[in-house]
Amino acid sequence: MTDAHFTPAMISRRAALALPLGLATLRAAHAAPEPARGGTMVMIVHPEPSTLAHYAVSAGNIPMIATQVYEGLLTYDWDSKPQPNLAKSWDVAADGKSITFKLQTGVTFHNGAAFTSADVQYSFMEILKKFHPTAPVVLAELTAVETPDAETAIFRLANPAPYIMKALAARDLPIMCKSVFEGTDVMTNPTANKPIGTGPFKFVQWERGQFVRLDRNDKYWKPGLPYLNRIVARFIPDAATRSAAMETGEAHFAGYSAVNYADVARMKTNPILDTTTKGYEMTPALSVLELNSHQPHLDKKEVRQAIAYAIDRTFIRDNVMFGFGQPATGPLSRLFTASGLYTDAVRRFDVPDRLEIANKLLDGAGAPRGADGVRFALHLEVNSFGEQWLRQAEYLKQALAQVGIAVTLRSEDTATWLRRVYTDYDYDISEPFLSQGIDPVVGLNRQYLSSQIRKGVTFVNNSFYSNPEIDRLLGEGRTEIDPVKRGAIYQKVQQILVEDSPLIWLVDVQYVSIFNRKLHNHTTGPLGTYQAFETAWLEK
Amino acid sequence: MREALQRFARNRLAVFGACVLIGLLVLVAISPLVFPGDPFRLAGKPLQAPDRVFLFGTDTLGRDVAAGIAYGARTSLLIGVGATLSAIVFGAMVGGFAGYYRGGVEIVLMRVTEFFQTIPAFVLAILIVAILSPSVSSEIIAIAAVSWPGIARLVRGEFVALGGREFVQACAGLGASDARIIFRHMLPNCASSIIAVGSLLIGTSILTEAGLAFLGLGDPNVMSWGLIISAGRAVLRSAWWICTFPGIAILLTVLGVNLVGDGLNEALNPKLARR
Amino acid sequence: MRLLRYLGHRLLLAVPVILGIVVLNFFLIHLAPGDAASVLAGESGAATPEYMALLRHKFGLDQPLSTQFYVYLLNMAHFDLGYSFRNDSPVVGLILDRLGPTLLLMLTAFVVALICGTLLGLVAATGRRTWRDPVISVISLIAYATPGFWLGLMMIVVFAIRLAWLPTSGLDTVGADNEGWDEVVDIARHMVMPALSLSLFYLAVYARVMRASVLEQTGMDYVVTARAKGQTEIRVMLGHVLRNALLPVVTMAGVQAGNLIGGSIVVETVFGWPGIGTLAFNALQSRDLNLLLGIFFVSACLVVVVNLVVDLIYVSLDPRIER
Repeated sequence: MTDAHFTPAMISRRAALALPLGLATLRAAHAAPEPARGGTMVMIVHPEPSTLAHYAVSAGNIPMIATQVYEGLLTYDWDSKPQPNLAKSWDVAADGKSITFKLQTGVTFHNGAAFTSADVQYSFMEILKKFHPTAPVVLAELTAVETPDAETAIFRLANPAPYIMKALAARDLPIMCKSVFEGTDVMTNPTANKPIGTGPFKFVQWERGQFVRLDRNDKYWKPGLPYLNRIVARFIPDAATRSAAMETGEAHFAGYSAVNYADVARMKTNPILDTTTKGYEMTPALSVLELNSHQPHLDKKEVRQAIAYAIDRTFIRDNVMFGFGQPATGPLSRLFTASGLYTDAVRRFDVPDRLEIANKLLDGAGAPRGADGVRFALHLEVNSFGEQWLRQAEYLKQALAQVGIAVTLRSEDTATWLRRVYTDYDYDISEPFLSQGIDPVVGLNRQYLSSQIRKGVTFVNNSFYSNPEIDRLLGEGRTEIDPVKRGAIYQKVQQILVEDSPLIWLVDVQYVSIFNRKLHNHTTGPLGTYQAFETAWLEK
Repeated sequence: MREALQRFARNRLAVFGACVLIGLLVLVAISPLVFPGDPFRLAGKPLQAPDRVFLFGTDTLGRDVAAGIAYGARTSLLIGVGATLSAIVFGAMVGGFAGYYRGGVEIVLMRVTEFFQTIPAFVLAILIVAILSPSVSSEIIAIAAVSWPGIARLVRGEFVALGGREFVQACAGLGASDARIIFRHMLPNCASSIIAVGSLLIGTSILTEAGLAFLGLGDPNVMSWGLIISAGRAVLRSAWWICTFPGIAILLTVLGVNLVGDGLNEALNPKLARR
Repeated sequence: MRLLRYLGHRLLLAVPVILGIVVLNFFLIHLAPGDAASVLAGESGAATPEYMALLRHKFGLDQPLSTQFYVYLLNMAHFDLGYSFRNDSPVVGLILDRLGPTLLLMLTAFVVALICGTLLGLVAATGRRTWRDPVISVISLIAYATPGFWLGLMMIVVFAIRLAWLPTSGLDTVGADNEGWDEVVDIARHMVMPALSLSLFYLAVYARVMRASVLEQTGMDYVVTARAKGQTEIRVMLGHVLRNALLPVVTMAGVQAGNLIGGSIVVETVFGWPGIGTLAFNALQSRDLNLLLGIFFVSACLVVVVNLVVDLIYVSLDPRIER
């Protein structure tokens, strides 16, 4: 997939926001084929969401459907810079403590209600702040949304929160219709599975175990859009069958690695299909090892570093991830490079003599090899979210055996695994997959702040890492508005964390999309499938 | 006895099945010699097609598929035979008592049997493995727990039918003890059905094990055919050898077990063969 | 009249069974470690203690087990299977949505397997000493010994991708809005492969049981007597042997009634068939206990009904079995 393919897509998204002039420019500048209207686009979503309550559950499979229906205040361009959507303009105060949004006019929800600032106020203060899983982090500083008139919403913040401006797309903080929720219990509101939004597609039907059907919103506020008549999100539990559905042309789009990495190479040779790794620029994720520092041996920094040296991340990338992603260097994904937050100037574990170093560290840490060559034994909890994690665990067992650590694998189902690792703390090593969120405040704070050692809460600090300097630095990074100073803070954080190695970072995950060549303009920004297919169209 | 063996030896299919099983046992015995070291060892380049070094190729991590099959035979046989034997012993006991004593005993035992049968078998197996945490022993328990009700009902059905037959009534009339009637007269009369179903059950157990491993509920520290297949499933279309060979191993084993079962059935029930 | 009394008696017996099942299932399921809130939060990637507490409160998981049990019994007393919080839907609706496709697929597979299996078993048993017996035995064994998902995947490769005769998966063509006959044909086309891969497995089971049972019956005295009376072989078979030989087959079919609901997780998974098996699997994985209990309850009711039918068939096949 070349950039050239995406340029028209990108421009048409901007054009859509500045119609009709934009479309004219597009036609003049590019000989892109004329978008055809109509047709049903079938996309594969995996696994099937359990609910479409996008405002209260942040599971990764919901937004692929929900962002067709719900819209956010903003959207983002390829540089992850904010672009207008339901808000046509915005102004961040110099002290960073208030943001004023001017809203679009003439927008209606699918139930006919007009969109006003009251909906923004209600969505943020009554629904998202109270019920959204990430709200206690992302919306912690939001104290009020003022609505001086129907077209203006002013966010009041207790402290500057530079990350909020990155979280206003439909994926993260959608806008709901106030009249639908007012006076009801948000958690049991029936729109959980029948979403009502302002988006280009209306929810029609959900056949559990089969599909969700979305039809064109004829009253969509962006003139002339969307092109498609219908989107069907299909659910196919088996990976091989998902691949087959793409190969036979039954489905047009499979995002978020719904098709196994192992099958992607074969897909590329299929003349009706193509692949892209674009559209995931705002979805950083890392595969890691969590180490329980309350266990003997793992309480020593040298042992943890030795484990980090013993693992060949390139092998994992090539053979477990089938070449997708990059060997991780530390706690932040490379996707934070553009914002100046990522650095690889840390202790590097991918050195040629890594095994000697690991053995030396272990010898020095008072864990000599026994007669059978084994220093000590550990359990590794296998991630239950898919076959590839068992492969990774099997590799890790072999890799650690090389330096004299005998690993026993334990593979339990999701509920048992999460309970063991985050509630009972009855584990040595766990191999989760951590999404990083839109900003380090999401990904780093919950993993490394000492205040995040919270029994019974999943994917928080379960390695019992507690470092006052990290606590201080992460606190500063949270409110720092100056990008340069902020970058320096987080680079320091990465250096300290890698040195301490409370976790071991394996691979910067790269998702991949497979699409039918008849489908155009599908990946139009860094949010990829997590934004509406409003400008996507199907060749007849 | 010698007569039975001779009858067995005349059955060419049964002999073929026996050869397969003997071959399998030999494989289990010699696997540490032929494939020294851990079968999980990363032996070579990943995804190599079968060649002289790797007879059955390597999998996605570069493990020798042939070594995996050799070591997996032990696991699959252990689970297949272990689960089947447990299920037969328990099922025959429950079904036998229910079918012989009838009345209150039957009602209670058959209600318990029914309870186990009302839960979808595979879901129950998964539930038990989830409760016990995946390992070879929890797989055996889970598979036996879903298999015994079939045996129990079969035995009870046969016992009820036999109960009306003249010779059992004659035994009872002659004052034979309950245990004698059950074990000497009635059970042997349903042996053919038990062997026919039981031999299938070994196959089912091996297949169920593959199913559990396929869903990530196998013992991750022990090499098994199910594990190899589930690992190769992702690359089924591009690396055919990973799934094909353990698949053939399962097929041959199940075939062998069943052919031997048939042969035994006929050898031990000469009246069937005499026709 | 006697039959009716028998039916009533059996149904009365079924009530305590189902009650017992309800109670036992409740505690069996609660033995599984972990809860729905942690799974949901786990899938969300990020969660705060406040959010987890909110979820647990909403799901009623902050109540003691005895209270949860009481609430559950109370619901059951009103024939209410409860609410699946994970799916934000009543349990009944979720199950009913899947019941149709499940029964359609399973009954088709069962009927095909039963008819073909019985016939094959009969042909094999009567064809002993000829080529028919070993050929049928070996073929049905191979069908039986092939792992279901492997067969399914291979069929998809051959019939859906290479030959493009059949669709890969699903219940019908999504978004096609077929009506009437077109819809029937559409569903039938989608059902060919899953029904075939399911029925091949059961077919082998029935063929084998039937063969063994026919062989056993033909050795019985009454058959010898009938032959001695000079009845033709066909009359002996159809008039005497078949009736009795069917008993173990019927038993086997009754045994497999429990699989009617959840016996096809693997095949449902491979073919994306919206069945109850995968619903149950997902419910177990996500600790959606209300939904799982509901499925177990419906499954139990179905099994009781099927067993009743099996018993009735027994009575009509073998009048010696008196109750």
